[in-house]
Amino acid sequence: MLDMREIAKVYRTETIETHALRGFTLSVREGEFVAVTGPSGSGKTTFLTIAGLLEDFNSGEYILDGVNVHGMNDDQRSRLRNEKIGFVFQAFNLIPDLNVLDNVEVPLHYRRGIGAAERRKRAIGALERVGLSARMRHYPAELSGGQQQRAAIARALAGSPRLLLADEPTGNLDTAMARGVMELIEELHREGATVVMVTHDPDLAARAERNVHIVDGMATGILEEPRFRPSLRERTGTDVPHGGA
Amino acid sequence: MMTPRPILSSLRRHKIAAFLIVLEIALAFAIVSNAVYMVIGRLQRIDLRSGIDERGLVLLRLATASKQNGSVASAQTDLATLRAIPGVESASAINTLPLSGSQWSLAYSLRPMRAFSDGVQVPVFFGGPGLLQTLGIRVIQGSAFQPSAYSDLSPKDVFKAFVNARQALITQAFAQRLWPHASAVGKVMYMGETPVLVVGVVSNIIQPYIGADAHDPANYYGVISPFRAGPDLNAWYALRCQPAACARVLKAGAAKLQAMHPTETLNAQESFTHMRQRYFRDDRSMAWLLVSTVIALLGVTAIGIVGLASFWVQQRTRQIGVRRALGARRIDILRYFQTENFLLATAGIALGCAAAIGINVWLMAHYAVPRLPVMYLPLGALLLWGLGQLAVLGPALRAARVAPTVAMRSA
Ligand SMILES: Nc1ncnc2c1ncn2[C@@H]1O[C@H](COP(=O)(O)OP(=O)(O)OP(=O)(O)O)[C@@H](O)[C@H]1O
Ligand SMILES: [Mg+2]
Repeated sequence: MLDMREIAKVYRTETIETHALRGFTLSVREGEFVAVTGPSGSGKTTFLTIAGLLEDFNSGEYILDGVNVHGMNDDQRSRLRNEKIGFVFQAFNLIPDLNVLDNVEVPLHYRRGIGAAERRKRAIGALERVGLSARMRHYPAELSGGQQQRAAIARALAGSPRLLLADEPTGNLDTAMARGVMELIEELHREGATVVMVTHDPDLAARAERNVHIVDGMATGILEEPRFRPSLRERTGTDVPHGGA
Repeated sequence: MMTPRPILSSLRRHKIAAFLIVLEIALAFAIVSNAVYMVIGRLQRIDLRSGIDERGLVLLRLATASKQNGSVASAQTDLATLRAIPGVESASAINTLPLSGSQWSLAYSLRPMRAFSDGVQVPVFFGGPGLLQTLGIRVIQGSAFQPSAYSDLSPKDVFKAFVNARQALITQAFAQRLWPHASAVGKVMYMGETPVLVVGVVSNIIQPYIGADAHDPANYYGVISPFRAGPDLNAWYALRCQPAACARVLKAGAAKLQAMHPTETLNAQESFTHMRQRYFRDDRSMAWLLVSTVIALLGVTAIGIVGLASFWVQQRTRQIGVRRALGARRIDILRYFQTENFLLATAGIALGCAAAIGINVWLMAHYAVPRLPVMYLPLGALLLWGLGQLAVLGPALRAARVAPTVAMRSA
C-alpha cells in the first residue's frame, strides 16, 4: 500500500538546514494499522506530509498503492491525494464557515464525475458511519472536540480513500473523547481500513498492529504488536476503507 | 469544480463584509453606467457634423450692433474689400453661424399659427446670395433664391421684413419633419399667419445652439431666408479661403476692417474650427471630469475588492491548505475566489441596476440628460465583472500558492 525507501527530506531556511528525514524506509501493507511514535521534532509529521503527498521529498523512492509518485506535478498529486488518501488532523481542521455536511462534502467537490446528489448521499453515509448524522446541519463551532474530530473522520472517509493518515488525532481531546475517537479508528480498521497514525500516547500506540518509532528522521525499532490482530481483515483480504458505500 | 452553493453559504457567515463590497460594486455600477453614457453623449456632440465645409472658413465680426455704419450697404463695402484679399474665394455677412451659440429662431408650421408655440422652432440663417457658397451648403432639391428675391434687413424693420418674406430654403432634416413622405419643394409653410414658399431643400446645417441629445434630428432643422445682413444685426463676416491661406487671410482681413472702421473694435477673429472647439469646450471638460470620476470610482472599487479579498485569503489560509490537502488543485482555489467575486459582483450589479435607473431618472428631471439606453446596463455589468475578476486575481493567485502542508503544520 505504502512503500518508502531511503527517503530524505531536508528543510532549508536562510540559516539552517534541517534533515527532517534521512534514509527513511517503511512499508505499510494493505489493511494494516500502524502507529508512529517518536520524540518531538523527530520527523513524524514530515513523514505524514510526504506519505500524504502534501510535499515533495529530496531523494529516495515512494510507491503509493502501486504508483511511483516521483516527479508528479502538483495537479497529479492533488488528484492522487483526493482519490487515495484520507487525512485526520490533530486540530480537526473543519472549515468554520461550512456546516458539517458541507464540510464532509468538500473532498467530493474536487472529485471528477460526482454529481450533487451522489455527493450528498456519500457524505450522509460517512456521517452515519461516525454517528453524527443528527448533527449534520451544525457548524463546527457548535460541536464538541470529539464530535468535530468524528466529522473530520467522516470527511476523510467520504471519498473512500485507500489510506487513512492521522497526525495525533486525539492530541486535542480529553481522555473520554480521545477514547471515543480511538475506538472509531479501530472500528474503521477492523472494517478493513489501512491506517497510519502518529501519536505521542504509548497506550494508544499499543493498540495498533505495529509500532514504528522515528528517531532523528529515521524509522527505528520497528516492533510488531501481535496482541491486536483483527480477524475481519484477514478474512476479507483486500478490503479497503470506504465512506459507507 | 466548485459549485456556488457552498461559496454562498460561506459568504452568509460574513454578511457585513460581503454586503459592504456588494454595496460598493452597486454604487460603482450605478454611477459608472450613467457617467459612461454621459461621456459618450458628450463625445457624440463633440463629433457632430456641422454640415458646412469647416476647413477654410474664417470669421470676423465688428462690434457694431446698432451703430450708424453697420448697415447692409456698409457691409457690402467691407465684403468687397475682404474679397480682394488674395486667397479669399468668397465672403458673406451672415446673421448667425452653426455652433456660434446664439441664434435667431422663428416658429414654422404647416398651418397658419395663432401662437408661437403652435409651430416648430427653427433657427433662421440669412446672409445674401453668397451664403451657400461661403458656408459650403448644397442645394439638394429645387433651387437657390433668384437674385431678385433678396432684400436688405435692418434692425428697425425686422418683423415687417419677415412678414413680407414669402420664400425660404429649408434643410433636409426640417423638410423631413414637415413633409416626411413628399418633396418639400413648392410646398407652403406658415410663419405665424404668413405663408412661406419652400423653393429648395439644402443639405443639413447644424443649429447655432444644439440641445442635450446629440441624436435629435432637430439639431439639423434650419431655414434660410432671402435677406442681406449687416453688422448692425451682429452679422459675421464669413470668408472662404484656401485652407493654407487662412491664417494670413484672417490677419489681413482684421487689419483691413480696423483700417476701415478705426473707431470700432473686432469682437471675433477666428477660424470656424476654433469656434467649434470653443463651443464644445464645456462638453470636453465635462467628459474629462466624468472620465476621471469613473476612473477614480473604478479604482476605489478595485482597491476595495483587492483589500477584502486579501483579507479573506489571509483569514482563510488554513482552510485553503486543508482544501489543498483534501485534493483541491491550485486552479480550484483560484476558481473559488474568482467564483466568489463573480457572485458578489453579480449581486452588486443587480442592486446597481435599480440604482442606475434611479440616478438616470433624477438626472433627467434635474439636468438635460436623456434616458439611459438599456444597453448600458449589460455594458456596465461586463465592465464591473471584468474589474472584479481583475482585482481578485492577485489575492486569488496568492491563495492558490498556499501550500497544502499548512493543513498539517499550523496548529
Ligand atoms: N517547513 C519547515 N521548515 C524548516 N524546518 C522544518 C519545517 N517543517 C519541519 N521542520 C523541522 O523538521 C524537523 C521534523 O519536524 P516534524 O514536524 O516532522 O517533527 P514531529 O516529529 O512531527 O514533531 P512533533 O512531535 O513535535 O509534532 C523539525 O526539526 C522541524 O523543526
Ligand atoms: Mg508533528
